[in-house]
Amino acid sequence: MSADPTADESADGDDPTVEMAEQAKADEPELDRGLVEAWAAKMISNPDRAYRATFYVATIFFLVTTLFPFYWLLVVALTPRNNLSEVGVFLPAGFNPAAFIEVFQTLPFHRYVFNSFLIATIATVAVLLVGSLAGYVFGRLRFRGRNAMLLLVLVTSFFPPAAFFIPLNRLFNTNVDVLRPLISAGSLYNTPYAIFIPLSAIFLPLSIFILMTFYSQIPDGLEDAARVEGTTRLGALFRVIVPLSAPGVATAGVLTFISVYNEYFFSSLMTDGRPGSWAPMLEGILRFQGEFEVLYNLMAAASIVAVLPVAILVVVAQEKIVSGLTTGAVKE
Amino acid sequence: MASVTLEGITKRYEDVTAVDDMNLEIEDGEFVTFVGPSGCGKSTTMETIAGLTLPTEGTIEIGGRDVTNLPPKDRGISMVFQNIALFPHMDVYDNISFGLRLRKYEQEEVDRRVEEAADIVQLEGMMDRMPSEMSGGQRQRVAIARAIVRNPDAFLMDEPLANLDAELRVHMRTQLQRLHRELDTTIIYVTHDQAQAMTMSDRIAVINSGVLQQVAPPLECYNEPANLFVAGFIGSPAMNFIEGEVVDDGFESVYTQIDFDPETHGVSPGQEITVGIRPEDVFLEADSRKAASPTKAFDAVVDVIEPMGKEVNAYLLFDRDVEASAEGRGEGQLLINLAPDTEIAEGDDIRIVMDRENVHLFDRASGDAITHSLE
Repeated sequence: MSADPTADESADGDDPTVEMAEQAKADEPELDRGLVEAWAAKMISNPDRAYRATFYVATIFFLVTTLFPFYWLLVVALTPRNNLSEVGVFLPAGFNPAAFIEVFQTLPFHRYVFNSFLIATIATVAVLLVGSLAGYVFGRLRFRGRNAMLLLVLVTSFFPPAAFFIPLNRLFNTNVDVLRPLISAGSLYNTPYAIFIPLSAIFLPLSIFILMTFYSQIPDGLEDAARVEGTTRLGALFRVIVPLSAPGVATAGVLTFISVYNEYFFSSLMTDGRPGSWAPMLEGILRFQGEFEVLYNLMAAASIVAVLPVAILVVVAQEKIVSGLTTGAVKE
Repeated sequence: MASVTLEGITKRYEDVTAVDDMNLEIEDGEFVTFVGPSGCGKSTTMETIAGLTLPTEGTIEIGGRDVTNLPPKDRGISMVFQNIALFPHMDVYDNISFGLRLRKYEQEEVDRRVEEAADIVQLEGMMDRMPSEMSGGQRQRVAIARAIVRNPDAFLMDEPLANLDAELRVHMRTQLQRLHRELDTTIIYVTHDQAQAMTMSDRIAVINSGVLQQVAPPLECYNEPANLFVAGFIGSPAMNFIEGEVVDDGFESVYTQIDFDPETHGVSPGQEITVGIRPEDVFLEADSRKAASPTKAFDAVVDVIEPMGKEVNAYLLFDRDVEASAEGRGEGQLLINLAPDTEIAEGDDIRIVMDRENVHLFDRASGDAITHSLE
């Protein structure tokens, strides 16, 4: 915080506000102040304390609201199945770490996580690839109709994803003879394509916008230099522009990955929910909900397990983002 | 090494013509400079040679090969850019070897060539530095090394010294000349600085508003400018222009009168012409023997004196009533160049003569030169 230098000053007694407070004290020796009034007076005479206090209050508030749900998931996960009705707010009613193993025994949950991970990875690669090409075109080339096309891309993201569901579902359930050699049933239902195709399309506009902004910042001279040195335009994009936009690419990639990995609507409707049918992680969690009993402890444990790969990925990517920023790559 | 030929190169953007019907032949090993004011089309011309933009019309040949529609990488050229354009995410070695690695050279060959190029521009021992850790001059040398490492047919240099400070610019200028002598490769150089153009080139191509004005060796551009634009652009301080018209026995303007026979110079009485005279071709009447062939003397008043050390620039007014303009080059004003020991003071009344051998006449309507000497 920037409060330090002024705090030092007030300690020296040179700070005018302190002098003012002392003077006020001298002027009104008789005034009998209550606890709150005294505290308020102190804050007014030394506002840095007030700023610091509010900073901590706000920080703690946000930390609690974001981290407490995770903590409570852990509490629920550790509570033994029989005590689920007595689960506390801060402490589990009992201690049953075996829930984290049971998750994989009851269902092949690892397969669900793998399905999700694969779908999210393919979608991220596809989005970054297509987004890079589109971002290059929109960010670095000038042509007639550029703004109109950009608007069109934007419009796709205006529709609620649910609006696409019925036509897509019917399309993916149609048997296409051409696909028969590739996919056993000849339809996309129950394949990873049924999830990653619509989700890539839905998250593409955001990535195009992020990449477009980054790519347009790269000086023209660098692209020209690469082309004169021996690359094509495409080569210049992937050898010079993309590496220099690493923070932007990482941002777009992480956003896409998390969105696809956590997506609910398409993920829950485009497969029949069996792990062999490429049902994603989310379906796995829902499967702990039986007809007569809901295994909240296993659902909680599964949720925590499912978060881990993403958390690791973000931490790794974060480092990349920070290093990309600190090397000052684009500085001329 | 190769010749470069431009034939009818025209570049039009929607409603602007950046380059208009440019025809130019650059010989093998020649150092040609494109010079002109900002926005005159010299950079666009260079970009069409590099292949970074395609011309609207015309053909480009490099080494006798039509390259008009080839991408930049297949033209056998290399380029040094105004903003240096080193790849910031690569160290010096990677920057210099970028083109070689793309062309799949053997590692040993790459190492050998990079070392050789680094040697020429004196970059030894800096191979693993990043561009952000280097000074402007060092980066410029890396950019030049990157350009020479591929042994291109022709070098294109787009204002490579513009971003350097004055001292470094002069230093790099001599370095480039030495480089040209050593490599003996065709160099096309773009600058708006006529001093760089004068000092470095075999020939200068003066460009204005997308039109080639004159292509000639530097001294020819200086002594025999093809038109008013070249006369005013080449040389510093610039040439004086006096507007007037042809009369029966010579030239007459509001303040001056020069005798000559209109017929011998192909002008006719009544024609509007402009007289051009360089500051060093005007002398005090007392020194008129320094002029090969002095005109008759004119009255003038000294307005401002600028001692430069090896010479004195004096801004003169032909009449005390003339209103001096800020740059001192308007109607009724004259800039002259005198020896440093000349004893004149601001406000003096003096008499001056011009050297008839160096009086240029230009047709005012077309701007074209009529003659470069009245003798």
